[in-house]
Amino acid sequence: MRDSLPVGLGEFKFSQDPEDILIAYGLGSCVGIGMADPQTRIAGLLHAVLPYNPNGSLIPSPKYVSDGIEILLNELVKYGANPSRLIIRMAGGANMLNAPGFTQSFNIGARNIKAAYDTLQRLKLKVTSQEVGGTIGRTVRFYVRDGRMTIRTLGNQEREI
Amino acid sequence: MGENKTHPSKFSSFLSSLTSEGFQQAARAMTEMVGETFSVTEPKITAVKFNDIPKILGGPENDAVGIYLRIEGNFPGQIMMIIPYSKALELADLIMGEPIGTTQSLGRLERSALAELGNLTGSFFLNAIADSSGVYVRPSPPAVIVDMVGAIMDIILATSDVLSEEVLMVQAKFIQNQRETQADFWIIPDHPTIDTLTETAS
Repeated sequence: MRDSLPVGLGEFKFSQDPEDILIAYGLGSCVGIGMADPQTRIAGLLHAVLPYNPNGSLIPSPKYVSDGIEILLNELVKYGANPSRLIIRMAGGANMLNAPGFTQSFNIGARNIKAAYDTLQRLKLKVTSQEVGGTIGRTVRFYVRDGRMTIRTLGNQEREI
Repeated sequence: MGENKTHPSKFSSFLSSLTSEGFQQAARAMTEMVGETFSVTEPKITAVKFNDIPKILGGPENDAVGIYLRIEGNFPGQIMMIIPYSKALELADLIMGEPIGTTQSLGRLERSALAELGNLTGSFFLNAIADSSGVYVRPSPPAVIVDMVGAIMDIILATSDVLSEEVLMVQAKFIQNQRETQADFWIIPDHPTIDTLTETAS
């Protein structure tokens, strides 16, 4: 039986136990970014809420996409992961407020996705697969054993990306 | 982050009287709209950690309905009502004067009925604030979102970074013909708003 490790809002978790599954429940505009090194069998999942740490804050936090990606990468590397081998999968970043009267300035989802791409590019990392944007929430499961990512949306079967 | 720092008890009790008044007025408006007597129990206000909201609603992956309004004007903020999906169906029945169990899914009509409930409740709550303090506030049009609890909560976080803070939960029961359905509202004033409101209350 596999163990499930929930990754809450603004958190990241990683594991070296191939039986573990890292889960971020109900991602709306938040993004879930999973990184796995299939050789050293270490994997981590980030559940970031906002794109960038506000000006003036010097303490990096996994609450922010930009900070979170670097924190997760550093942790994985510390435990033996090789950045060039990483499987990176990304999901979330939906526009949850797709209603008349709400301007695009509310579209934090799109800003989170952009922050993720910009940060990954800066760190010379490439996304292996993704399912981002849209207007619906997603629960994301990231498998430590093989770096697979599955997605569940309301009323739909779980599927792999 | 300072717990209770952003929502002092003075602010909470100030809000409590306004909420009660606003909800009673909303119930009267609902009565006129539905044509049957609608009432609301005395709303209970408590401060709840934002991170604990999913627990109250059965978990972040549970299906739910969110009714969302932005507060615009001198006291900017957000009002979000999150109801478990099954409760939202009951509430739609209640608003439309149908026997409980009639509504099986939320179509355009049912969503619009729920939006109207959010609209009336939000408007009367804001009217009570405006009347007591003489400032200009108005609600945005309501948005109705059907999704997982976690995804609905992200909407609040997108404009107000309250992740590790407490927010005000207003619990009220809507009653019509001895049938009742509970609904929880979350009131999240933007940070500068709280200082102004507290000053008004003092």
